[in-house]
Amino acid sequence: MAPEPNLAARSPSRWGAQEWVAVAIFVAALAVPYATEDLLVHSIVNRVLIGAMAAFSVFIMLRMDLLSFATPAFMALGGYSAVLLAMNGVTEVLLIVPASFIVPALVALPLGALVLRLRGVYFVLVTFVLTEILQLIVFLTPGLTGGSDGLAGFPAPTLLGRDLSDAQSVLALAAAMALLAVVITAALTAHFRQHFAAIEENEVLAESLGLVVWRYKAMGFVVAAGIAGMAGFALGNMLLTVHPTSFGAQQAVDTIVYTIVGGRGSILGPVVGASLLVTAADFLGNQGQYAQGLFGLLLIFVTLVARGGITGAVVTLARRLRDARRTPDAPAAAASEAAARGGA
Amino acid sequence: MEATATGAAVAGVEELRVEGLTKRFGGLRVLEGISFTLAPGDILGVIGPNGAGKTTLINVITGRTPPSGGRILLGGHDITGEPTHTVSRRGVVRSFQQTNTFKSASVRENVSRALRFSGTAGAEGWARVAPLLEAFGLASRLDEQSDKLPYGLQKMLGLTLAYAADPKVLLLDEPAAGLERSERTRVDEFVHHVRARGCSVLIVEHDMDLVRRLCPRIIVLDAGVVLAEGPPAEVLSRKDVIDAYVGADAAEDEAA
Repeated sequence: MAPEPNLAARSPSRWGAQEWVAVAIFVAALAVPYATEDLLVHSIVNRVLIGAMAAFSVFIMLRMDLLSFATPAFMALGGYSAVLLAMNGVTEVLLIVPASFIVPALVALPLGALVLRLRGVYFVLVTFVLTEILQLIVFLTPGLTGGSDGLAGFPAPTLLGRDLSDAQSVLALAAAMALLAVVITAALTAHFRQHFAAIEENEVLAESLGLVVWRYKAMGFVVAAGIAGMAGFALGNMLLTVHPTSFGAQQAVDTIVYTIVGGRGSILGPVVGASLLVTAADFLGNQGQYAQGLFGLLLIFVTLVARGGITGAVVTLARRLRDARRTPDAPAAAASEAAARGGA
Repeated sequence: MEATATGAAVAGVEELRVEGLTKRFGGLRVLEGISFTLAPGDILGVIGPNGAGKTTLINVITGRTPPSGGRILLGGHDITGEPTHTVSRRGVVRSFQQTNTFKSASVRENVSRALRFSGTAGAEGWARVAPLLEAFGLASRLDEQSDKLPYGLQKMLGLTLAYAADPKVLLLDEPAAGLERSERTRVDEFVHHVRARGCSVLIVEHDMDLVRRLCPRIIVLDAGVVLAEGPPAEVLSRKDVIDAYVGADAAEDEAA
């Protein structure tokens, strides 16, 4: 039987259930500030949204098997850009949100030309250094960035003249940015699913078949930087300050843990990871050091036992259950299949 | 006369010329002054002991490794030092020694990626590879994950992917390595198929039977230089070639 061309024509860039579910979650998050006035809930949801945004940035790069520690550097660029605009009289979110995306994205373009030729541990190390360097630059430029004091007391953002400084608006703005981030991430990773997967699995083969690998890596890096930048602005807006300690290596580690524990194979991974781990860290309260320990243990566990993270494990389990239901005599079928394989 | 002239012009467009190609890694001379021409429909065998520079030759031609000297011309156009994807888009495509597929993707996704990345996606591309998928028994396994296929089929899928990228020149790096004897005729099938469609083929291979069957002309590489060039029967009986590489086995084969 010859393969029918129309069998091949199934659009590979379509959104799957996971993309739609992820977007639905963030649409629902828009309602949270108006559904409850519990400030603890506001605080946790806000931090989950920021964590998930930053994790999307890591997720995009992991689609191409690049583990980036540069997320906090881009968060800082976005956060400081937005706050500096606000301090200079531009408080309109329709201007400063795009700016928090565009500034880090523009910086990522030349940086990408330098670092995207690296792979594996070299990419990890260099992006780690980028975060360290950016933090250092902040410390060394107190005139512009406030140095070790950070920038605080900046005017609240406004939407078409309406002040957004109340607790509800702060959370609603974070939710709106997170929704934007998930839509951009879903659009990018679904549209280039096959390209990213090919680069992740076998870059050399993809290139020798004609794929312009650097172009896709650069695109991913630029968008990942922009999304991190929005997360940086959301963080500054929640804390009412942008401070160099918010954008250090620890932030990079946390963000990577959210993504990998949640599951690097699905856009739901960063969402699940950020939700669970931010909440878990909150339950541990002031004992922050235990949260770090918990994250470390989870990371070891996931790396050793469940490479696909939580979402990966759920998908595998669901698939197994479905297969078992299809073939009621599953053990016998599996046994005969194994026998056939052994015989072959 | 006119027809001949046109034919030559068309042939010139797709002819691969390698001129004085040299590659050194530090002080190590891997290729030294390699020259050959591959006209459309040509099949050229490249043999030589391990470390002779055969894979490096493919790497340099396809832009994976920059040459230290010399030129590579495709249809008179200098493609020396161009990036791999550009060389591939121009029609010079390689296969790999190890099975090289997108492992966790299905056979269908593998082929679809090869078609898409080379800019030949669509029904036309599928029509081009369908006979190969059929011949290798891959057509009925389109939805299987490629690394779950038997080794021989993975290898044939790798060759099919290279052909899916719509090459004018195919560089095959040990296509028969790791295949069982009974599977090796599939390589013959593949080469005949692509050649019939005007593709020229360079085959790096250790299986001398296969080389004799497929290649009207071979070159022998030894320590980065061309030791001999010509028809296999003639070249493989030369004493220096036997000493350098082929050894007693082939000499016995020749005698028998």
